[in-house]
Amino acid sequence: MDAKVIKEEQIGRSVPRMEGAAKVTGRAEYIHNIRLPGVLHGKMFRSRIAHGRIVSIDTSAARAVAGVHSVVTGEDIQRLIAEPYYGPAFHDQPVLALHKVRYVGEPVAVVLATDPHVAEYAAGLITAQYEELPAVFNEVEAATSPIHVHDELKPAITFPDLKHLKGKRGTNIALDYKLRRGDVEAQFASAAHVFEHEFHTQHIMHTPFEPFVALAEPMDDSITIHTSTQMPAYVRLEIARLLGWPENKVKVRTAWLGGGFGAKVYVKIEPMVVALALLARRPVKMSLTMEEQFYVIGKHATTFRIKSAVTADGRISARKCEVFWNGGAYADIGPRVSQKSGFTSTGPYRIEHAQIDSAEIYTNLPPAGAFRGFGIPQLVWAYESHTDIIARALNIDPLEFRRRNILREGDEHPTGTAMRDAEFEEVLVRISARMGWDQPFDRGTGTKRRGRGIAIGVKASIAPTTSFALVNVSADGSAVLFCNTIDMGQGSNTSMAQLVAQVLGTSSERVRVTQADTDVTPFDMGTLGSRSMFHMGHAVRLAAEHAREQLEALCAETGIEYQDEHSIAQAFRKKFGMQAGNIFGVGHYTSRYQPADHDTGMSKEITPFWMIGGTGIELEVDTETGHVTILRMVNVVDAGRAVNPRVVDTQISGAALMQMGATLSEEMVFNEGELTNPSLAFYKIPGMRDMPVAIENEALEAETRSGPFGAKGVGESGTFGVSPAIANAIDDAIGVRLYSLPLTPEAIYRGICAARGEPLVD
Amino acid sequence: MTVANRTIAFTLNGAPVSAAIGTHHTLLEVVRDTFGLNGARESCGQGLCGCCTLIVNGQSVSGCLYLAAFADGTDVRTVESMAVEGKLSSLQQAFIECGAFQCGFCTSGFLLMSEQLLAQNPNPSEAEIRNYLSGNLCRCATYPEVIRAVRLAASRPQER
Amino acid sequence: MTPFELLEPQTLPEALALLSDDDAGIRPIGGGTALMLMMKAAVLAPTRLVSLRGLQGTLGSIAMTADGALHLGGLASLSALEHSALVAQHAPVITRAMTHLSNVRVRNVATVGGALAHADPHMDLPPVLAALDARVQIAGPLGTRELTIDELISGYYETALKRNEIITGVQIPASAGRAAGRCAAYLKCTTRAADDWPALGVAVSFLYSNRTISDARVVIGAATDRPTRARAAEALLSQSMGDATTLQKAGDALAAEVQFTTDAQGSAAYKRQLARVHLGRAVNAALAQT
Repeated sequence: MDAKVIKEEQIGRSVPRMEGAAKVTGRAEYIHNIRLPGVLHGKMFRSRIAHGRIVSIDTSAARAVAGVHSVVTGEDIQRLIAEPYYGPAFHDQPVLALHKVRYVGEPVAVVLATDPHVAEYAAGLITAQYEELPAVFNEVEAATSPIHVHDELKPAITFPDLKHLKGKRGTNIALDYKLRRGDVEAQFASAAHVFEHEFHTQHIMHTPFEPFVALAEPMDDSITIHTSTQMPAYVRLEIARLLGWPENKVKVRTAWLGGGFGAKVYVKIEPMVVALALLARRPVKMSLTMEEQFYVIGKHATTFRIKSAVTADGRISARKCEVFWNGGAYADIGPRVSQKSGFTSTGPYRIEHAQIDSAEIYTNLPPAGAFRGFGIPQLVWAYESHTDIIARALNIDPLEFRRRNILREGDEHPTGTAMRDAEFEEVLVRISARMGWDQPFDRGTGTKRRGRGIAIGVKASIAPTTSFALVNVSADGSAVLFCNTIDMGQGSNTSMAQLVAQVLGTSSERVRVTQADTDVTPFDMGTLGSRSMFHMGHAVRLAAEHAREQLEALCAETGIEYQDEHSIAQAFRKKFGMQAGNIFGVGHYTSRYQPADHDTGMSKEITPFWMIGGTGIELEVDTETGHVTILRMVNVVDAGRAVNPRVVDTQISGAALMQMGATLSEEMVFNEGELTNPSLAFYKIPGMRDMPVAIENEALEAETRSGPFGAKGVGESGTFGVSPAIANAIDDAIGVRLYSLPLTPEAIYRGICAARGEPLVD
Repeated sequence: MTVANRTIAFTLNGAPVSAAIGTHHTLLEVVRDTFGLNGARESCGQGLCGCCTLIVNGQSVSGCLYLAAFADGTDVRTVESMAVEGKLSSLQQAFIECGAFQCGFCTSGFLLMSEQLLAQNPNPSEAEIRNYLSGNLCRCATYPEVIRAVRLAASRPQER
Repeated sequence: MTPFELLEPQTLPEALALLSDDDAGIRPIGGGTALMLMMKAAVLAPTRLVSLRGLQGTLGSIAMTADGALHLGGLASLSALEHSALVAQHAPVITRAMTHLSNVRVRNVATVGGALAHADPHMDLPPVLAALDARVQIAGPLGTRELTIDELISGYYETALKRNEIITGVQIPASAGRAAGRCAAYLKCTTRAADDWPALGVAVSFLYSNRTISDARVVIGAATDRPTRARAAEALLSQSMGDATTLQKAGDALAAEVQFTTDAQGSAAYKRQLARVHLGRAVNAALAQT
């Protein structure tokens, strides 16, 4: 029998989520639920100014409150950690503000108390004196401003392309990715048509429903951190670095995550709880409120200047992209976002002459980092709006214009990387087929006008990254997978179990997946950027294959034919005389990557796989009020082979609806650096009545030849096309083009007024 | 200010219980911290997301905005009461079958509210489901699946 | 939140005796949805809360009075209004408004009295009640008094209520009832998400006979700092047939006469446009029920 022949196909099965019963009975474990005897609760006192030197912090009133254990400031942290600065790209973020504050909402002190109400009350009694400094908020202004958020740049050693910024002073630029291909200026000078636009996106927040929560538990010679994180291995590494401890003295564990969406990557509040616990010598829990989340991390606001040269026959010959990313006061993973997404700023088009400048910029706002799509939705918003404007100006059907320019298999992306397993055109074809693009369309009448639009985006995955996995097969043939991929709702535990079962020839239901615990689950870069199905998928496949080899050897040794878990159980019994023993299979995978050339920004290998997503929108605009009703949303992605089709469908639809919120309503509104709407009452995410009248999703029947069983990541692809497809449909309906998100009814109505030459007067 | 200053007695998922509370404690805190029932959770803290949904005297309330003191003498139910002796209710089963949750943090609230809806309106239209559940938010946006699950449960004979 | 004294009187005189006109730290609490939000945000840290829940039996009723008015108890919950057959019969505009007011859980707890006493300009009930000529009944240590909504809500989060007074009920006069031939509608317009504080609420009511509108009431909420009557619009609507030209004129008049405010839901200029458009839509919605 062929060793790889299996009884029942596990790939492509819509296995119900393994944690289903736990989640519908309310019994699923979240870090949110952890209670420990003797735990202290921490509540923060935050800066009320955007930029200033700390003159003094008065904690006396807080300390005097009955029940307060202690009040901790940045200087106290420094007694424990001499250089208490953390961050994946730059070591720029203090555990608690030291010497300076750099944004409204920055943590300045923490009150510890057994009763969280006491801690909260006491934190309200703390006051601080600052010497206020001028602040800078806008990303374009900050790029050249004499106001500097940091005196000196302190890149972490992790990323070689940040090395040249070490020790740099007098700048807010935390990354300056450049691509130079061909000669764009010559093309602009000679092209039949040149188009130039500027687009903006707003600050938004992930608002995971389980707000940031972590609990640090000091042990005799180690520390255990229970945290709602997407990156347990990285938390361990960074905490060990800060404390100067070996990694094995730091244990990081998670449970089910109540949402992540990129908010919970790298480290967030973990350094704080660890430092507090070590100072207090007691377990410390910090459980942020929804309001506080807005001061931890958000999504970059951007300004994107895009210019294209187009030939007389409608081909894009050159494109110049200048992207300014508003990174806020601390870099977090922002520089990675600016660079990795910067790679694809020109869009999914074949363009011979390309120039990209993608810059991460410090400002005096809350930090910005990874957010479902890792920067791509901001870019697609701009280049697909721009693309549509061009097509309409040239009187070419927007679909046809895209097809004329779209990258095809084997084409070279402007970065120099070849397109492989990237079904751009098929995505366009399927969207247009589902929408009946070539059919007549009801455009509405009177004050209700209808339009439709499409958009498509591309993402290069994050590389190079590494995943390890371990499969433990028990003597009854059941298996446990140890892996650090975090199931934050995307169904990864179920999908990973399917991969194990596929290889072992058992059923998915016979495989359990442990929750991450860095004492036992092996290293993984983290659950972000849709990397897990590809990277961890390979590691899990390899681990399962390794286990299978040993199982086959065991069967051969005991003279039993390898078939399924029953034969495995028989073999164990025969070998050990009873139901005893284990087989461990290990596997690991590192994606290939070739760093971009420093001068040209080009690389033959920027990504191990391409992510592609597109959206078609039909909508109706109320021309008297600017209200938009999305009648139909069609999302099509190339996700390679779907391991679990139902999970894939939910990922596509969830991503698209989340991006719909970012398009129509969500916005962190700042007034001189102060956030005016940090609550779900004033920061509006979509609810049931905001959903499109109809939504349909499709994952192409495609295969990623380099992926495990043909699969690749899908968590973000549904976000790509949504914003520009909506803007394009609005333009189609009423002839109004909008350049800034969100597309609120008022913005649309103002556009309508402006278009008829009667701007709305305030 | 830490001292519990009164005792309340109520019925929790069918069993009589009592708890020492402070006047400033919410019913959500008591259900979670005193009784260890973790199905209801605080998320938005403003009664908008529905993660903290509890049923008091047969009516849904936001546990995060409901003073524990007011629960004295009432009948309180949580999501933990939905499965009887380990047997999932038809709604719970439908949620699993339709994949009507992702991260699961908001799921308890959606289940309890859907249960209330079906008790009042055994065969709701999609519009009625959207309206009734519009006060529950799901950041994973698993809304289409929730609607399908409610309709599926409605289509099945009551076996709870 | 911080601890406070919580008192639970069982009678109105007891409750009134526990309140104080001088002490801002003493507050009555009904459903408490708004109060809890303020306490959780530490905007309010009362020393004493006087729960009115013990009065629900006496002040929670919904009934017709002898003179044909609809009485809504101050402690009646909004969901009680929503499901009341009497309300549906006498003032169906309230029934319809309830289904889109906040959410089910809030309506289960929030009370009529609280919805008036809070005086957040974005609330739905005050403009609806104002358009129905409702009288608010108030009890205090010196006895009872009645105010119109306009008299009660004096400004942005401001009322004419003294700290030691309680809203015991609201009466919608027979003349504002369905049986008297009064048509009414309430439209609200949100601008960020379907479920949101409105940017505008428009309540209209009028008599309609012989295809003619008379005695029109137009009350604007949310877009203003307090519920605001639009008398010029009312005058244009009255004695009209509610035709498109009249609606447009009335909308323009409304836009001109009302002082709109800018807030997170929209600019004053935009709200003015919303009001202009929604007046006609509200009148048509009311006419559709005739």
